[in-house]
Amino acid sequence: MDFQLTDEQTMIRDAVRQFAEAEVAPMAAEIDREHRTPLEIIPRLAEQGLLGMFVPAEYGGAALDQLSYIIAVEELARVCATTSVMVEAHNSLAVWPILAYGTDAQKEALLPAMAAGEAMGAFGLTEPGAGTDVAAMTSTARPVDDGYILNGQKVFITGGGYAKTFVVFAKTTSEGPAHRQISAFIVDRDTAGFSVGEGERKMGIRASSTPPLMFSDVYLPKDALLGREGQGFEIAMKTLDGGRIGIAAQGLGIAQGAFEASVDYANQRVQFGRPIGSLQAIQWILADMSTDIEAGRLLTDRAAWLEGNGEPHAKAAAQAKLFCGQLASRVAGQAIQVHGGNGYTEAYPVERAYRDAKITEIYEGTNEVQRLVIAKQVLTERRVGA
Amino acid sequence: MTNTYILVPGSAPTGGLMPIAAQFGGTTTLVVIGDRSQAEAAAESGADRVVWFPTGSDEPAEAFASAVARLVASEPGPVLAGRDPASRVLLGAAAAALGAPVIVGAREVNAVADGYRVTAEVFGGIALRTTEVDGPVALLVDGGATVDGCPPAPVIEQPVVGLPIAQLSLQVDKGAVAHLGSAARVVAVGRGLRSQDDLSLVKELATALGAELGCTRPLAEGLDWLGRDRYIGISGQQIAPELYLALGISGQLQHIAGARRADVIVAVNTDEKAPIVAEADYLLVGDLYDVVPALTSAMGATP
Amino acid sequence: MIVAVAYKWAGDAQDAVVRTDGTVDFTRAKAVVSDYDAVAIAVGRKAADALGAELVGICVGGPDAATPMATKSALSRGLDRVVVSAEPGLGGSGPTRTALALADLVKGLGDVAVVFAGDSSIDLGAKMVPAVLGGALGWPTLTDVAGIEVVGAQTRVVRTLGAGVQELKVALPAVLAVATDAAALKAPGMKDVMAAARKPVAKIEVTELGPEGDIVTTAPLDGPARRGIKIDCSDPVSAANQLIESLRADGVLTPAGGRR
Repeated sequence: MDFQLTDEQTMIRDAVRQFAEAEVAPMAAEIDREHRTPLEIIPRLAEQGLLGMFVPAEYGGAALDQLSYIIAVEELARVCATTSVMVEAHNSLAVWPILAYGTDAQKEALLPAMAAGEAMGAFGLTEPGAGTDVAAMTSTARPVDDGYILNGQKVFITGGGYAKTFVVFAKTTSEGPAHRQISAFIVDRDTAGFSVGEGERKMGIRASSTPPLMFSDVYLPKDALLGREGQGFEIAMKTLDGGRIGIAAQGLGIAQGAFEASVDYANQRVQFGRPIGSLQAIQWILADMSTDIEAGRLLTDRAAWLEGNGEPHAKAAAQAKLFCGQLASRVAGQAIQVHGGNGYTEAYPVERAYRDAKITEIYEGTNEVQRLVIAKQVLTERRVGA
Repeated sequence: MTNTYILVPGSAPTGGLMPIAAQFGGTTTLVVIGDRSQAEAAAESGADRVVWFPTGSDEPAEAFASAVARLVASEPGPVLAGRDPASRVLLGAAAAALGAPVIVGAREVNAVADGYRVTAEVFGGIALRTTEVDGPVALLVDGGATVDGCPPAPVIEQPVVGLPIAQLSLQVDKGAVAHLGSAARVVAVGRGLRSQDDLSLVKELATALGAELGCTRPLAEGLDWLGRDRYIGISGQQIAPELYLALGISGQLQHIAGARRADVIVAVNTDEKAPIVAEADYLLVGDLYDVVPALTSAMGATP
Repeated sequence: MIVAVAYKWAGDAQDAVVRTDGTVDFTRAKAVVSDYDAVAIAVGRKAADALGAELVGICVGGPDAATPMATKSALSRGLDRVVVSAEPGLGGSGPTRTALALADLVKGLGDVAVVFAGDSSIDLGAKMVPAVLGGALGWPTLTDVAGIEVVGAQTRVVRTLGAGVQELKVALPAVLAVATDAAALKAPGMKDVMAAARKPVAKIEVTELGPEGDIVTTAPLDGPARRGIKIDCSDPVSAANQLIESLRADGVLTPAGGRR
């Protein structure tokens, strides 16, 4: 058992914090208010190495371990949830599956530009009628000579507005079990027949671009296939296993930011002639917030450690995401309570944290999906153990 | 007999240095790096002799660091200099040549058995530290005022070739530089301020008070809300205004050491346990967002 | 050719606390490569690239200065390698001992074109280490350097003094202490952090410690006695009026600026 961060992990935390406070925090309120995706931050994220965190050095990446990655995501989310999800979706949902399932040729062609921020990535899985129920997807990639013809629609695609490299899932056959019908493809934004729609106006992470994608007779060459035909469901699930840890870290970061704002406020806000932090009613809330966050961090760090060490981590990742998503909402709500009426206004960052927190209970698998994953595992483990 | 050197780049003042030099006993030599008029002016400040290194018009005093080093090494003795950049460089060269420890902020010197006992201010005047040195010592002391009117001491001219440094240009800047050092009143703000936009609140108060605006290091260096010439602290500006208003400043050592010599200190802070409280003449425990506008309008109402 | 940067590994003065006996407690101050030194490294990186030189960090300090965390932190700022002398006698030592040890490191490196240093971090505001280092090497030395342009063996230096902006030319080798705003400070990138572990670190034993005074006593120095008058703030308007009345009575609000 070792709870000590390595030198590198400590330095990465300090460096990302310094970067986040200097360059991300100042724009966070404005981009939220304006629903404006901060494209100008992309080159800066790339310069910091935040867009190629898993990518090996030979492809221009930083080759970080999983724990360093979630430390970075948490630090970004602490000041700006939108920026953290831009980074998280790119690394976890686009770079990672290419790294894990791509051929050498695909990696060589795609990863350097992705790590450099020249080609942002996005993950096209969700459809209007297939959210949690992935196997219900209706997008098809009909095999033809030398390739596939892709048709269908995707929604809520994080990064869709600016991404160049899309990992898209579609059914290549209607035969066999539903989850074996799906394949994964790499689709370039500039492919004929591929168009990107207008994003929704959201409650939180407002600056995150999440438009629908439309595919109309899009011709994909054979080498656009990621992994094998029929492997798409597995790729999606494995990708989401890792992605979930990133979302857990994002929830933690949102909670941490709201918590720190609350402690500062409790020390500064004077009522009854003394700072409200001296009132037990406030102290108890702060104690609960802190305990929640520490518990969530242990779950998240361990899930990342398991993944980094090649251990089974689906359950741990689901548990971390379930717990941290809920704690983010809970802690952000408590932060508003500590701030009183002020916390309900746009003048204080906890209002934004409250709106941003909710999505961490929903995307990359709702709380209910996480419980499903966890329950399936515990039932199986018990059977195997017995 | 001890001979003490005082290094005088250009017309650097020696008022603060002469009394310390006198505490070593013996004679005092002013080492002037500059033009003839500067050497002659220095000769009237009460030293026993002046050694003058004439400078060319484009030669900064720093070019004579090696010459100063050779001079003091030829007849070792204590060396004193003021706080300006050229004085520091010359003093450093002398210290290296003599193998002398450097002591900053010396206030008092006493001879002891085989050396000197030097009492100096440390951390911007937070504490006094007494150090014993068993050989020559190099002291950095506040220059103080210019001294003149004493009978002129002999000036020994020593033309030497300086190090290869030459001034190409000097643009005297009368722009928007902060003049914290000479301001009678300073209003400073710290992390209690929540956003850069809110600086306007503080600026309005500074205008109403006829005060310069200052800040703590994080506001100047981390957040970049104000220029680096405006932050007050050990490593920033050290000021002694008549009135110092500390708004939302907790009063960490790094900061307060820069403002401790103010005549009157007012603290506005929500935390009555903050270190600034012990440093304040007037303490207003409250939110600067409530207090500052009230102060501004109170000043406006009663000119 | 080598461009060297002198940096220190020490507690951030921001977090230092004065004890009642007048000594300063750095135990709660996290050890860092200070922002001043990070600026010096950034300036050094630019100069080294312009000269086609290697950028070497030089550091003297207590045993902490040679820990992997310390050297990696410095390396992640963009140094190519680090040479460090770390032993108890160099921890918290004064400008002369520190600078003479640094001078030994510079001499050991050989072909050094320029040594950069942070303006005020190394000796907690005393700003004397670069000066003594320059003296020990016998090289031209300038402080408060805001900008540097290297052209062959000449360096054009811009510095901001009280009077204005001065431009100078300096022949190399030289010691240049850079001002805090000589370069924009950037957080180290992930690649820099990961690369730091693979860069060389050499530890040099110090054969002889330079001169240093012996500290006999330290005592707190009380500032002017403070009155600690608390003004009730429950009504900000009356608190403001009360304060201004008191300040007028103290004579510090006279229009012309009073006593000076």
